[in-house]
Amino acid sequence: MREEKILIVGLNHDTAPVEVREKVAFDRTVLTESLRRLHSLPSVEEGVILSTCNRVEVVAASAREQSAFGEIRNFLAAQESVKGHSGLEGHLYEYSGDAAVRHLFRVAASLDSMVVGEPQVLGQLKEYYVAAHEAGTVGAILHRLFHRSFSVAKRVRTETGIGSGAVSVSSVAVDLAKQIFDRLDDKGVMLIGAGEMGDLVARHLQRDGVKSLMVTNRTFERAVELADQFRGTPVRFEDFHRYLTMADLVVGCTSSPEVLLQRETVEKVLKERKQKAMFFIDLGERRNFDPRINGLDNVYLYNIDDLKGVAEQNLQERSNEAQKAEDIVEEEVGGFLRWLDSLDQVPTIVALRQKVEEIRRGELEKSLATSLKGLSEKERQALEDMTSAIVSKILHAPITRLKQQPEDRDEALYIDALKKLFDLEEK
Amino acid sequence: MDVTLLKITALFYLLAAGSFVIYLVLLRDFFSRLSTSLLLAGFLGHTAALAVHFFQPGGYSAAAQFREALSLYSWLMVAVYLLVQLKYRLTVLGSFIAPLAFLMSLGAFASGAGIGELPAGLKSYWLPVHVTLAFLGNSVFALAFGVSLMYLLQEYQLKNKKMSVLQKRFPSLEALDRFNYVFLVWGFPLMTLGIITGSLLARVQWGDYWSWDPRQITSAITWLLYGALLQARIAGGWRGRKVALLTIVGFAVVLGYFLWGGSVFPSRHRGTFE
Repeated sequence: MREEKILIVGLNHDTAPVEVREKVAFDRTVLTESLRRLHSLPSVEEGVILSTCNRVEVVAASAREQSAFGEIRNFLAAQESVKGHSGLEGHLYEYSGDAAVRHLFRVAASLDSMVVGEPQVLGQLKEYYVAAHEAGTVGAILHRLFHRSFSVAKRVRTETGIGSGAVSVSSVAVDLAKQIFDRLDDKGVMLIGAGEMGDLVARHLQRDGVKSLMVTNRTFERAVELADQFRGTPVRFEDFHRYLTMADLVVGCTSSPEVLLQRETVEKVLKERKQKAMFFIDLGERRNFDPRINGLDNVYLYNIDDLKGVAEQNLQERSNEAQKAEDIVEEEVGGFLRWLDSLDQVPTIVALRQKVEEIRRGELEKSLATSLKGLSEKERQALEDMTSAIVSKILHAPITRLKQQPEDRDEALYIDALKKLFDLEEK
Repeated sequence: MDVTLLKITALFYLLAAGSFVIYLVLLRDFFSRLSTSLLLAGFLGHTAALAVHFFQPGGYSAAAQFREALSLYSWLMVAVYLLVQLKYRLTVLGSFIAPLAFLMSLGAFASGAGIGELPAGLKSYWLPVHVTLAFLGNSVFALAFGVSLMYLLQEYQLKNKKMSVLQKRFPSLEALDRFNYVFLVWGFPLMTLGIITGSLLARVQWGDYWSWDPRQITSAITWLLYGALLQARIAGGWRGRKVALLTIVGFAVVLGYFLWGGSVFPSRHRGTFE
């Protein structure tokens, strides 16, 4: 029996444009069937399909690397031909052995993501693993590989700052709000204007539980419309100054060429608010708020460039942390490969395989020399293949059982039982 | 014996300070717990040291000497911090308190082992009450000082859009400002009681409640400062940076007098702290 290897064939945001990724992507509704098709490929012994908007990958365990690569390539190409025609040539990457293990660990740890450190990919990985597990296409090796990758991801997340720091404008705004305010559920927001960015920030703030939201716009109808969407309160544009005392966060997102709020106005508002802190978020292309208001005590003003600057800085920090994460991945790859190697060195398994193989060969030769003497070369070969297949199938279950729970307390028990039942002697 | 215990205490405070710094860098819950435990261990050692000191002949003086004052003061400060940590989980503040506690306990055994002699007239039960109240008030102000310093750092970063790793470690400005208020509200009455018991003792010892002694004058100044600050907070709606700055100034006055006041303005007051 040959050693099984881990293989990965796939494409991601780096190697293929979205049009190609879309075509190859697997439909969730027929995922089980796709998995079974993958599993039925002659050289594929175990298989998992991973299909997200940023990547489509097949992870497999196979004893015949080259033929498996070919089969999986065709499998993916077939997927694509269903929906259109353009070659996958140049888009696919192939990894085997330690490179494949490293790749999967990096994907799980979000090191291979478009936005490094984003947390979604791990959940998706788990989902697709479970789907494959339920479809029965996962065996001992991929089981162990995926569980290992989940714990690598967890380690990376707790031991490095890869996932920390907001990297989008709206999440930076919310992060800053949380550094100014202890809690958001007693805070009011005033949204001025209907720009897309303002919409996004307001949504994000609402998701984080702000108490109330007022919406104002030059055309009152638009304000009402927006307020409906957010379940907020519409405020007439002419009046919005009067309502500012109730707003702890003020988000400006208009294309107005003139400044909407002067320092003097804010000063008055602050007095009425008894100096309670205010956070102004200026998302206008031309400034909506007087920059001088940042000079007031208890007032914080961030414009879109400031927010982008913070996001940029956080991204930079993430990539610094990524190096630490790469080191962790490297360490874990080593550990996993040692486990994989050790499998085929378990003396009992080796002895069992040898013993059964000896019996098969001995019985076959005996029969071929006596009762089956007149067989043709072709018939002999068929018999050889058939007996080999029987042996492999019978041994697969007990061996996988041993592989599956390498840390199990029962392992010693099983090995002991195996030795006694098959009368094995380790050499 | 008590000096040995004090050395052990200082060691634990030092370890706690180190652990707090690691917590600031790594932000792991484990180090939050470890730091607090180390500080608690130091505190218990400190308690034992004080108890031994108190029950030896003449130890009753409590804080007649600078080193005794340092020891008692840092003990109270750590006690107050541990209580705050229990209620609010303000681990970051520990990284200000633990190094301070370490330096004070270091000073406490580094400057000799003797016991201060008390004038006969001062052997009043009011003395420990006075010392404890005054020190307790100042311990709470030390915490107010810590959160105010954090407030200024955090505010500076937010205003100037200079982000640093520290930022994520600190509580929000709103929370820090509220802590400032809580500490002022607790510290001020304690300080007031400390001053009242102090003037009672002054009456016994010096013959008058008020005698324009430098110690009395500085106490009055800081009392007025903190009182005005509290008043401005409650009635005037002051908050944020201004309050944080004044809290720091107030504590600097107290600390400055504690460390150098005695040599600049000699006082009849025996203990070196209010």
